[in-house]
Amino acid sequence: MAAKDSPLKQFEIDPISNIELGGYNISFTNSSFAMLITVLVITLFLTLTVNTRSIIPSRMQLISELMYNFIAQLLSDTVGDNGKRYFPFVFSLFMFVLIGNMVGMIPYQFTFTSHIIVTFALAAVVFIGVTILGFINHGIKFFTFFYIPGVPFYMHPLLIPIEVISYLSRPISLSVRLFANMLAGHTLLKVFAGFVVSMPFFTGVFPLAFIVALTGLEILIAFLQAYVFAILTCLYINDAYHLH
Amino acid sequence: MPQLNPEFFVSQLFWLAVFFTFLFVFLWRVSLPRIATVLEKRQNKIDENLSSAKELQEQAMEIEKKINDQINKAKLETDEKIKETINALQENVSAQLSSLDKDLEKKVSDAEKEILKSKDDQMKNINNEIVNITKLTVGKITDIELSDNELNKVIETHKGNFN
Repeated sequence: MAAKDSPLKQFEIDPISNIELGGYNISFTNSSFAMLITVLVITLFLTLTVNTRSIIPSRMQLISELMYNFIAQLLSDTVGDNGKRYFPFVFSLFMFVLIGNMVGMIPYQFTFTSHIIVTFALAAVVFIGVTILGFINHGIKFFTFFYIPGVPFYMHPLLIPIEVISYLSRPISLSVRLFANMLAGHTLLKVFAGFVVSMPFFTGVFPLAFIVALTGLEILIAFLQAYVFAILTCLYINDAYHLH
Repeated sequence: MPQLNPEFFVSQLFWLAVFFTFLFVFLWRVSLPRIATVLEKRQNKIDENLSSAKELQEQAMEIEKKINDQINKAKLETDEKIKETINALQENVSAQLSSLDKDLEKKVSDAEKEILKSKDDQMKNINNEIVNITKLTVGKITDIELSDNELNKVIETHKGNFN
């Protein structure tokens, strides 16, 4: 596969300016640029639309409020009253992933959520935070999370390792889910875009039509994955409060 | 796959940490409190309006109750008045009937008296006529002039025979 035309070329990272700190390469890249755009879009949108603080909201303000209420509802449904203090974090996470995915849908724009290292870092923050939270709330009793009550005793040697493994694989499943969705969607778009060019005569309109439909689906997936990321975070936080 | 190339891992992690931390702190400290304030303000306004609506509704109910009371009162008063009027009319009618009865009785008795009187008068006239006729008859037959007194005496004595 020629690297120039590879559908995976869109995931390559290009440094915009080379920076080195303490021997580490921390170049500002197209990935960092996408993050910058994402953060700017979120902060500016959420700040400017609510600037007037009007009781009867403008359409834009209503969007901000809907997002706020959406995540607040999600948290209170899954975690309950305890969840309120994690609201800023879950909201930031949701918006970061959502707008990151959406920015990635802009043609020629880099999708930082399609990089496993980014999604894994986010998932790891959630995982570590939730684990610490579990120990803060329950102390050493948090280990009883792996013990399923009401199961015959001879099943425990089997079940406890399974529970531990499933717990430890949470950050992996959380990050790979998002990463793989983004990777697959964008690769598929690129592959079909290649068909549009390479197919003879006017038959290229068929893959083009497919791309149009797929773009709609990808936008849906962009939202859905951000939602899944947020709701799983909520569920993990809930687990840290309520052991089985 | 470019994702597995560790060349830019540190860079990605570094910038992710920078931007996500900034985003988190900014949303936590600036954006979300703003939205929360707006939502709270609106909720307060809604609650206020709801409570005032409830108050107004209560007032309306009170007024309605008052109106109903007034209507009932008016009905009762009207009923009373109607009853009173009917009673008064009935009394009036009975009074008039009794006065009519009295009048009629009086008239009947008057008429009876008059009849009796005229009967007497007629009887007297009859006596006078008898006297006159007797006088004329006796005068024609016998040329005797009889005085009225004498004739009256005779008639009185023979009266029983006439009847």
